[in-house]
Amino acid sequence: MTTESHPGEPAPDRPEGLSITGGVAVGFPASRTGYGQQTYGNTAPGAEGATWLHVRPDGRATVFAGKVEYGQNIRTGLAVEVADELRLPLDRIDVVLGDTDLVPWDMGTFGSQSTARVGVQLRRAAATAREVLLALAADRLDLPAADSAPAEGRIASKSDPGRGIDYADLLAGQSLEQEIDDDVPLLESSAFRVMGTEISERLDAIARVTGAARYSQDIQPDGVLFASVIRPVAYGARARSVDFSVATSLPGVVETVHDGSLIAVIAESDGAADRAAELVDIDWEVPADQRASWELPSVLVESGTEPFVMQESGDLDEGFGAASEVLESTYFIPYIAPMPMEPRAAVARWDDGRLTVWAGTQRPFGIRQELAEAFDIPEAQVRVIAPEIGGGFGAKSPYRPAIEAAKLARAASRPVRVAYTRVDETVWSNFRPAAVIQIKSGFTSDGRLTAWQADAYHSGERVMIGRRGSETPYTAPHVRSTVYRSDSPLPSGSYRSLGAAVNHFAREVHMDEIAAHTGLDPVELRLVNLTEPRFRRALEQTADLFGWGDSATPEGHSTGIALGIDVGSYVATATEVSLQGSDIRVHRVAAALDCGLVVNPEGARNQMEGAIIMGIGGALFEAADFEGGRVLNSGFTRYRVPRITDTPDIQVRFVGDDTTPSTGAGEPGIVPIGAAISNAVFGLTGQRHRELPIQRHL
Amino acid sequence: MVSLRVNGESREASSPGRSLLSYLRFDLGLTGTKYGCGEGLCGACTVLVDGQPLRACMTTVGAVAGGDLQTIEGLATADELHPVQQAFVAEQAMQCGYCIPGFIMGTVGLLNREPHPSPEQIREALAEHVCRCGTYLRIQRAIERAASPESLEEPA
Repeated sequence: MTTESHPGEPAPDRPEGLSITGGVAVGFPASRTGYGQQTYGNTAPGAEGATWLHVRPDGRATVFAGKVEYGQNIRTGLAVEVADELRLPLDRIDVVLGDTDLVPWDMGTFGSQSTARVGVQLRRAAATAREVLLALAADRLDLPAADSAPAEGRIASKSDPGRGIDYADLLAGQSLEQEIDDDVPLLESSAFRVMGTEISERLDAIARVTGAARYSQDIQPDGVLFASVIRPVAYGARARSVDFSVATSLPGVVETVHDGSLIAVIAESDGAADRAAELVDIDWEVPADQRASWELPSVLVESGTEPFVMQESGDLDEGFGAASEVLESTYFIPYIAPMPMEPRAAVARWDDGRLTVWAGTQRPFGIRQELAEAFDIPEAQVRVIAPEIGGGFGAKSPYRPAIEAAKLARAASRPVRVAYTRVDETVWSNFRPAAVIQIKSGFTSDGRLTAWQADAYHSGERVMIGRRGSETPYTAPHVRSTVYRSDSPLPSGSYRSLGAAVNHFAREVHMDEIAAHTGLDPVELRLVNLTEPRFRRALEQTADLFGWGDSATPEGHSTGIALGIDVGSYVATATEVSLQGSDIRVHRVAAALDCGLVVNPEGARNQMEGAIIMGIGGALFEAADFEGGRVLNSGFTRYRVPRITDTPDIQVRFVGDDTTPSTGAGEPGIVPIGAAISNAVFGLTGQRHRELPIQRHL
Repeated sequence: MVSLRVNGESREASSPGRSLLSYLRFDLGLTGTKYGCGEGLCGACTVLVDGQPLRACMTTVGAVAGGDLQTIEGLATADELHPVQQAFVAEQAMQCGYCIPGFIMGTVGLLNREPHPSPEQIREALAEHVCRCGTYLRIQRAIERAASPESLEEPA
């Protein structure tokens, strides 16, 4: 508890009201995260402090955060955290996100950390503001701190509540600044009035249902031109020659550009640009010997290199020697496409050497840096504004259209819009890495693990992806978990939970195989090998929520369960499936999530449901087919994603402790669902699905 | 020259071959109707023509000449949201929101045809819409709420 009062520093350069400033190195380490030996720190060496919160003399407050909103509802969640700490009604909070000119530097919105890290910083900012307001009121009303309390935007006497003063009146005519007090006491969960409650509204609901919400695809500044970028016909294809002569003759065409690998037509309308682009004559050179999707499993294993041991203990030979049975299985998970509803788009405008780009990216500050480097200008000359974002899921951390639009805008000397088509968004995005995972386990007849060896071959350069979720939570005395880096015929990158859903699929199907071999119930088998209480609780609560083992499962239906950990949160899912003709039908899913303090249960529940439904796609339908450097199933025609008719009933229960700091809720739901479905299908058909997607292998 | 009505206003388009979606979004600035796939498979571009759903990405302005179009921007009155919009707000039936205008227009079209759809009818009618965020359970609840006798109003 700070003993000195902080009435705020006079700051004539600041706007009227109270500005709370602070650094951008935020966060706290989660001791066990499932991140794969790496946790993010939201740090930027040398980044200046920023304004996090502005309490205004009109009675409202503005929150500034470098995070972006792409459906996780953090706009509301962050506002909830501030509303509670500041004791200001939620409907008086405004939130500014993702505009690099206005908000604190941020490493990017991914990894399910907005609530856990920036949320905590904003709570500190709000609590700091609260202390300033208490000190100002004490001074103004001659009201001792011990006798006053904030509520509903007002400091009032506890003993005489009619005696008080509104925040607006306290701040009128003053420009004050206070730095965030890192040690300011935050509200105990028993004192929450907003956090942890069922919030019945979203800050962005009206804009979303009226069409007022503006996404990158919608941005049209005055004078904007439309670009049609001609993408390579295959990965690695190079244009030997480009002939614009016919294209240029079309009405409305303003400019053609051939700048390195960027080939584009710019026109007054999107229609004119697209028509002209079709008439550009290009002689493409396509690299031969590109692999096809059916070769992928052998490519992954044969090219596996740089083994990284994630986990090691004991001696595997001894462990297998002590087993009464040894089981070896291989699992294959193909590439899948993120397919956000909004294909990427960007609009760029140059004003006297200053560059403004509207880009719905998960990393506005990262893109700002890339743009500054690309054009060799200071970052201070670049502004990236993230509008509403139609889905991220990891796919929008890289954001090529931003630089394409900036190059084309410079060439045209007018603002230029670059918009991906659905095919572009499939082919020229990153796929979730594919993997082959080999598991060898040793166990006794009562299901106790004696040895566990996992070798995972994940595609792509970004090895952090494949490492996530590759550590087993089960207590085998002799363990080695190794992750290899393998070649990647398709561009691979981030996806919801990175490699965790992939690694968990293999592990959790394997555990069910052990259950089948030992005759143990799948929940029992897991409990025999789990000591960590939070894992046990997530599993037991899921089984309870689902009604696991009760006799109510209808004829012709089968059940399956799996557990996992991701972004510091413990999760399990149980599912009931049946076969309808040649289709697997998922009837219901129950999931328990321990993510510590749940700040916005409604938002967290929405994210869990969404992650589970997304995971059903990866489990049943989704896979990228490719050959000769071309994706064969781009677009919704041939890449099936879950629809309303595929949706099961979903029950979510939060089982964490609200005194435990918040961990992520956006990604964990997708982690165990694939294995839970495979495990359920085994009971249905007797077929063990170690390869996804299941529908293709029925 | 093509004449049509959009959200109650008379409009003209000089090029009958112009994509209806592009016309709405860029020529009229009505960006609430979205581009999701350009193939008529995701529902994000759904508008109503004479009260019935139409995929704007798959048609031209000329094809709807003389028609009475309604986009998401034309649903609410000056004073209040349409009951379907209200239902989506009440159920918080959204995440990123990109698919939501299409779902709402598709729902209004469904309720114009079938004021009291069963849950199964709702799913079949809206199976043409994709929500990659996976908000389907809430969307289903919102549509059931909008279709319930208490909240039903005259079709638009």
